[in-house]
Amino acid sequence: MLIPFLNIRIIRRQNETKLSQILPVLIALFAALLFSAFLVWLAGSDVKVAFTALWEGAFGNIRQITETLNKAAPLILTGLAAAIAFRAKIWNIGAEGQLLSGAIAAYWAITTFPNLPPVLMFIVILLSSFLAGALIGLLSGYLKTKFNVDVIISTVMFNYIITFLLSMLVDTVYRDPESYYKWSPKIPDVAQFPLLLEKYRLHAGIIVAIVAAFVIYLLIEKSPRGYEIQAIGHNPTASDFKGINNAKTILFVMFISGGVAGLAGGGELAGLIHRLRVDFSPGYGFTGIIVAMLAGLNPIWIPFTALLFGALLTGSLKMQIVAGIPVALVYAIQAIVLLFVITAEFFTLYEIRRD
Amino acid sequence: MSKSSQPQSHEAILLDVRSLTKRFPMVLANDQIDIIINEGEIHCLLGENGAGKSTLAESIFGYYQPDEGEIRFAGDIVEITSPSEALKLGIGMVHQHFVLVPTFSVIENVAMGLDSPGMLLNLDAVEKRLTELCQDYDVEIDLKARISDLSVGEQQWVEILKALYGGVKLLILDEPTAVLTPQESEKLFGVLKKMTSDGLAIIFITHKLKEVMEISDKVTVLRKGRLIDTVETKNVTKAVLAKMMVGREVVFHVEKEQIQKGEPILEVRDLWANNDRGQIALGGISFALYENEILGLAGVAGNGQKELIETIIGVRKATRGEILIGGEVITHDSPRETMEKGLGHIPDDRIREGLVTEFSVAQNLILGQQRERQFRKGYFLDKEQINRHAQSCVDSYEIMTPTLESRAKFLSGGNLQKLILAREFGMEPRVLLANQPTRGLDVGVIEYVWEQLLEKRRNGDAILLASEDLDEILNLADRVMVICQGRIMDVFDIQDVKIEEIGLLMAGIEDASC
Amino acid sequence: MVTDIFQAAMLVSLFSAMLRIATPVIFAALGELVAERSGVMNLGVEGIMLTGAFVGFVVADKSDSYLVAVVLAIVAGGIMGLLMSFMSVSLKLNQTVVGLGLNLLASGLTFYLYRISYEIEGTMEIPRIETLQNIEVPLLSKIPFLGPIIFNQNIMTYLAILMVPLIWFVLYRTKLGLLIRGLGEYPRAVDVKGISVDRYRYIAVMFGGMMAGLGGAFLTIGYSGIFVQEISAGRGWLAIVIVIAGNWRPGRILFASLLFAMLDAFQLQIQAVGVQIPYQILLAMPYIFAILVLMGSRARSVPPGSLGEPYSRE
Repeated sequence: MLIPFLNIRIIRRQNETKLSQILPVLIALFAALLFSAFLVWLAGSDVKVAFTALWEGAFGNIRQITETLNKAAPLILTGLAAAIAFRAKIWNIGAEGQLLSGAIAAYWAITTFPNLPPVLMFIVILLSSFLAGALIGLLSGYLKTKFNVDVIISTVMFNYIITFLLSMLVDTVYRDPESYYKWSPKIPDVAQFPLLLEKYRLHAGIIVAIVAAFVIYLLIEKSPRGYEIQAIGHNPTASDFKGINNAKTILFVMFISGGVAGLAGGGELAGLIHRLRVDFSPGYGFTGIIVAMLAGLNPIWIPFTALLFGALLTGSLKMQIVAGIPVALVYAIQAIVLLFVITAEFFTLYEIRRD
Repeated sequence: MSKSSQPQSHEAILLDVRSLTKRFPMVLANDQIDIIINEGEIHCLLGENGAGKSTLAESIFGYYQPDEGEIRFAGDIVEITSPSEALKLGIGMVHQHFVLVPTFSVIENVAMGLDSPGMLLNLDAVEKRLTELCQDYDVEIDLKARISDLSVGEQQWVEILKALYGGVKLLILDEPTAVLTPQESEKLFGVLKKMTSDGLAIIFITHKLKEVMEISDKVTVLRKGRLIDTVETKNVTKAVLAKMMVGREVVFHVEKEQIQKGEPILEVRDLWANNDRGQIALGGISFALYENEILGLAGVAGNGQKELIETIIGVRKATRGEILIGGEVITHDSPRETMEKGLGHIPDDRIREGLVTEFSVAQNLILGQQRERQFRKGYFLDKEQINRHAQSCVDSYEIMTPTLESRAKFLSGGNLQKLILAREFGMEPRVLLANQPTRGLDVGVIEYVWEQLLEKRRNGDAILLASEDLDEILNLADRVMVICQGRIMDVFDIQDVKIEEIGLLMAGIEDASC
Repeated sequence: MVTDIFQAAMLVSLFSAMLRIATPVIFAALGELVAERSGVMNLGVEGIMLTGAFVGFVVADKSDSYLVAVVLAIVAGGIMGLLMSFMSVSLKLNQTVVGLGLNLLASGLTFYLYRISYEIEGTMEIPRIETLQNIEVPLLSKIPFLGPIIFNQNIMTYLAILMVPLIWFVLYRTKLGLLIRGLGEYPRAVDVKGISVDRYRYIAVMFGGMMAGLGGAFLTIGYSGIFVQEISAGRGWLAIVIVIAGNWRPGRILFASLLFAMLDAFQLQIQAVGVQIPYQILLAMPYIFAILVLMGSRARSVPPGSLGEPYSRE
């Protein structure tokens, strides 16, 4: 039994197996399952009914599957954003703000250049959303390297600031004059992402996301830059001695991380929501962090964990209708998953001995 | 028998340790040690670095728990499970690395955690008692000063005061004079003698023979974790102790031929730099390192060796002065630039400064070189080439590793050192900065490392060898520099040193320096 | 119109609002101060405040007792502090990720539990509670200008102000305080004296949690009377910034809290007067200001020596 006050000695296990890497994930998922069952019961609903609705809502028919995939797209991107930063032990919590920046910039680009041919428009959307997120990320990186402002704090602050910015824009400059609601006018058809399937809303964003996952995978695992990113994450001192410039690497990481998150914003704008609005993102930036952690910060696994959380988000809608469970359950579940992942990881990496 | 006169019986045994054994994962630190300390006695624990003196002391102090053996204190068998147990018994310890809160004053450091009635802090009472203690032992120190403002010698007094305040019967001092000037050491000895005349017993850990002769009643000599003997100081000489301490059958004797040294390749001129706390670490260092030469940098760690090497590499800023390689000024170059200009580094803290333990062996072997064309295929790393490189390193240097993909954290210290050598030598540096390159390694690996260094020297490279191990310097160096408090005190040729005076020279060099 | 703002009556209401607005942040910042002084960086303050707000609201509503509500909010904060300590101090997990996890947990759980506790459909009235009444201190509240500002607040605000010298006293005049400060600077010095580093860190972090819970309770019980998702709105993060900007000293933390609260109060005043600045810019001011403050603090700000690093014996 682990008694907290006793001084315990923590010793790394000497062997790592594939099992020890999968185990935290399985434990986390199982614990999340139990905990959500508990929460459903607490609400007075039938657990079986609720979970069935959840599953059907996510994968029940083609329409649901496409909705799930649509939700997975931004999650893959925010997950990648978190992964690349966390690998360098840079705690970018600002994907939410960077995502919104990307959406705003894409909207600006669309409205400023409304007459571009579709292919060019597509590129402009991707580029502007990436750059906007990248610059916000870079700003946090700069505040760290120049002023030693914690990345955690500056990115959190920027989340709030950009959320207010979005609110102000849809209230004033980008307000749709013909609508009662506080949102922008819809973007023109030419700016909207092509649909992949007839009759359904599945859009090209998922392709962008998967391509991005592949690119980031190559960056982190196969390139010299990625080597350096991992090195400063594990051991900034040795990296310094061996000529790896910590400051430049931090700036690079924040640029790419913010940019990828920005892409998510552009994708949501052009692919699904088609306008700017205050409730643009249901917390994709934060969910992305858990997507990344559950995937072990490995870009290859991120599409899968993103799919899982996309399923949760989509399925929860049906669960609300059928079983009366508020959609908010998903947010509770994702936090449980996170806490269990890090705790479970501990137990598979370390042994505990009394000191 | 004892050097001090005292009213009570000084035959009374205070501490009786039998067969104490302590094991760590990689090493047997104490092997069946017996030791007896009498009241009112100053008892020296003598041995080289790594002999097991500190471990023994920490086991008596309760910081470590011995694996085998028995401890009797004041007649009773005791199990000292923690430092607070030791303190309750009356055993205090002053560590080599002080355990003081830098932002607190002396008074606060002593007061912290004291068992006293009530919740309120009563610093005045503590101050009063400390002042009395200072007067008793004729110690002058500003009790209200912050620790970080005190000199190292003064900080040590604080550690001693801490122990005295708690009322100790047995005080253990771990290498107390390592950081003191000769005058401060004399002052310390005076205070210690007064303490023993009051009945206190003292264990004094040291590797300096001069001190042993000056202050102790008895000496226990340890070597490589084993007890060699316990003798009465008046019955021995420095030479006898030296032999007991060093005792190596001079197994290492590497073939080092005379080579004519070449051109100066590394020049340091009037170099100044600060340490991490903003104090002066290097105060005007000047020297030249020649091709075909190993220049030894001797001295106890903490005198600026590390800062010197860091400044040359470029990790630390030089505040004044110049550094040149092959005539080119590199004073303010970054580590990447100095690396490209031919500087290599074997760090003393290999895990912190030389390796990424989470990376594989193959990855560690290209640390620093990851952008080089030879390891790239287009924009990406060339895995085959990296593995080929790794395999050849592993073969040439006989690095024991399950696979090339195994993470470095699973390798032993010796193999990690070989990894670093393979990597650094592989880059063919013109100048190699080696800092304690054989610390913590066993005999076979040490010999191997020495051979490699001599091979580099033969090939025309230049090596700066910073080492606390005088043996190593005497075996490898052509010239020796002695560094002390950031200044070069002396430089002399190795031929001018006679080999049979090793032990005395160790004491002698500490004499000449701080 | 701008001069209207500066009329005396306006000023009184401005400063009075400032104290009120600062209350939750003062609690949270003082709590975080103690935790960080012991060496643990609790980034979950935001989530704990939110939890305190929720628990305080629900209990006050269902039990009609402010006292019970506040006590339970404090308990809830303490439990989250316990969770934080367990994961950071005993398991020695990465404090950043743990803090984040706590935030997300609080965010999700409070939202969910609120929704199932009160089934709100469409435009139904959202549940509301009576907020704490102000208590006028006799005599003192009649002092011109200062009187109505300081001595006509609700009891939690009085408590918050009193906590400042209290925390100062505990940290600098008691044995416990000396120990905690020593722990945060150089835990080995405490360990070597045979005192449990873990135990006192637990105490400090749980206290921090309790204070954050208390601060959160004020948001609902003492201020708004309702609960909305994310009602804490970044105040927990501001508390963390304030601790840094206040250089880990209670007096300066009070000052910084008041400064930030003044920004908020000012923004409310401006809106009331009807100045034509988009309100979002005003709302964003504290966060922008926080970044600027941190940029400027770099030189002066000296954190406790072991902050954020788990302690182990080796």
